[in-house]
Amino acid sequence: MLERIEEWLPPNLRAVTSRLPAKVRDSAEEVRVREGRPLEIVYGGGYGFLNADGSLGPLPDSAYRPSREDCVRLLELLTNHSVYSFEEELKRGFITVRGGHRVGLAGRTVLEHGKVKQIRDVCGFNIRLARELKDTGKAVLPRIMDAEARTVHHTLVVSPPQAGKTTLIRDLARLISYGSWPSHLPGEGRKVGIVDERSELAACERGVPRFDVGPRTDVMDGCPKAEGMMMMIRSMSPEVLIVDEIGREEDAEAVREAMHAGIRVIASAHGRSPEDILKRPALRGLAEEEFFGRFVVLSRRLGRIGVEAVLDAKGRPIPAPESIPSVVRGKG
Amino acid sequence: MKCMIKLIGALCIVFAGTMLGMYQSLQLSARPRQIRQSIQCLQRLETEIVYGVTPLPQALHAVAGAASGPLRSLFEAASRGLMGKEAASMREAWEEAMASNWSHTSMKQAEKEIFLQLGTLLGISDREDQMKHLKLAVRQLQGEELAAAEEQKRYGGMWRSLGLLSGVLIVILMY
Repeated sequence: MLERIEEWLPPNLRAVTSRLPAKVRDSAEEVRVREGRPLEIVYGGGYGFLNADGSLGPLPDSAYRPSREDCVRLLELLTNHSVYSFEEELKRGFITVRGGHRVGLAGRTVLEHGKVKQIRDVCGFNIRLARELKDTGKAVLPRIMDAEARTVHHTLVVSPPQAGKTTLIRDLARLISYGSWPSHLPGEGRKVGIVDERSELAACERGVPRFDVGPRTDVMDGCPKAEGMMMMIRSMSPEVLIVDEIGREEDAEAVREAMHAGIRVIASAHGRSPEDILKRPALRGLAEEEFFGRFVVLSRRLGRIGVEAVLDAKGRPIPAPESIPSVVRGKG
Repeated sequence: MKCMIKLIGALCIVFAGTMLGMYQSLQLSARPRQIRQSIQCLQRLETEIVYGVTPLPQALHAVAGAASGPLRSLFEAASRGLMGKEAASMREAWEEAMASNWSHTSMKQAEKEIFLQLGTLLGISDREDQMKHLKLAVRQLQGEELAAAEEQKRYGGMWRSLGLLSGVLIVILMY
């Protein structure tokens, strides 16, 4: 896994990470670079500090400490030697690199009219490895399906960070687009529209998705969610619209608009449970109006992508497909 | 016969002297021209960066495409250095490109300093900042261009006649 991001690491850091044991390299999730502080790697649920010889330790004392030079170089490589072309990203605090890997940035901010203009002196990097796990959506799709309409219910995926929201909805997009419905439905794909504000879902390169998101999928890359959803509705006639991490008032408004236009929406939001979502002012309205027909709750403790529960609009759990009696199943 | 060989030798010396003078004066006239070209290149680079927001490797490539002669190879080499698999930093790629291409230009140390300085600054800041650095480099080059043009006016003709005359002088001394 780690080799996918190593082309962006400056030689000094790469020398350290390349000596890591294969097991750690394969299960790596995050590489955290902090100037003057120990180099950290998060893998398979745990973490460790990297020593210069590539061994891992729980103690930061003997760990490799990236220098100023390392950090400057890392930023240069991440931005393709063109910091100036990443002004918007530096304002928002993260860069998405080729392959959909997201790099969070921290440092000293420069303000203009009281708003963050950009991050200068970037000295903290969180390199998150994107992974395409196909078929993670297979277990979820039957439970969010609207068999009568031959599509999906409006679905909100709720999960704390790092539990696989993005991976799950990416795979749902792929399955719906290919028409890989569970066996008793004819394999008819739906037109899918993805609004990918952070280039994480489809990992577009010049607008072309690098992840397999399905043959009937259109992607609006790098576009603000609310605006992108409206553009999609107006121009691309999607049947299912997929957005990641909604949370602002205008996002909710756009979701509402899409739903009124007869488009099914699959969205994700940060939270531990649907009740959490209810507390967020922007999303409360949506939840109260019972717009969403399904809530998928993910959690980290059940393995990498653990589906804790699938609930319907009233909060009643939808059982996993194997426990659905065959009579009900035949209805589709 | 001996006289004949002597005459041919003398002609050769005069010819060589003239050519040497011509070459020197050509260098003098090439310098302001190349500085002018560099200014155009940097202005183009500024447009690519500030208005086109083109990533640096592609921007350098575009600049190379519009340039000619040694400047073209310089920008081309820098662009190639950045696009290579073994990710070099801009500074390294630029210094390498300068090392292998600068000697083919007629420009002097002052211009080299400006170019090298620029290499440490390109790409590492926001657009506003990049614009300032590029504008400053252009202004410095314009100063050098004036000086170079002045020098050419003053010494261009001198070198040409000096070459011929020194050739003749050597011949006279030899006879």
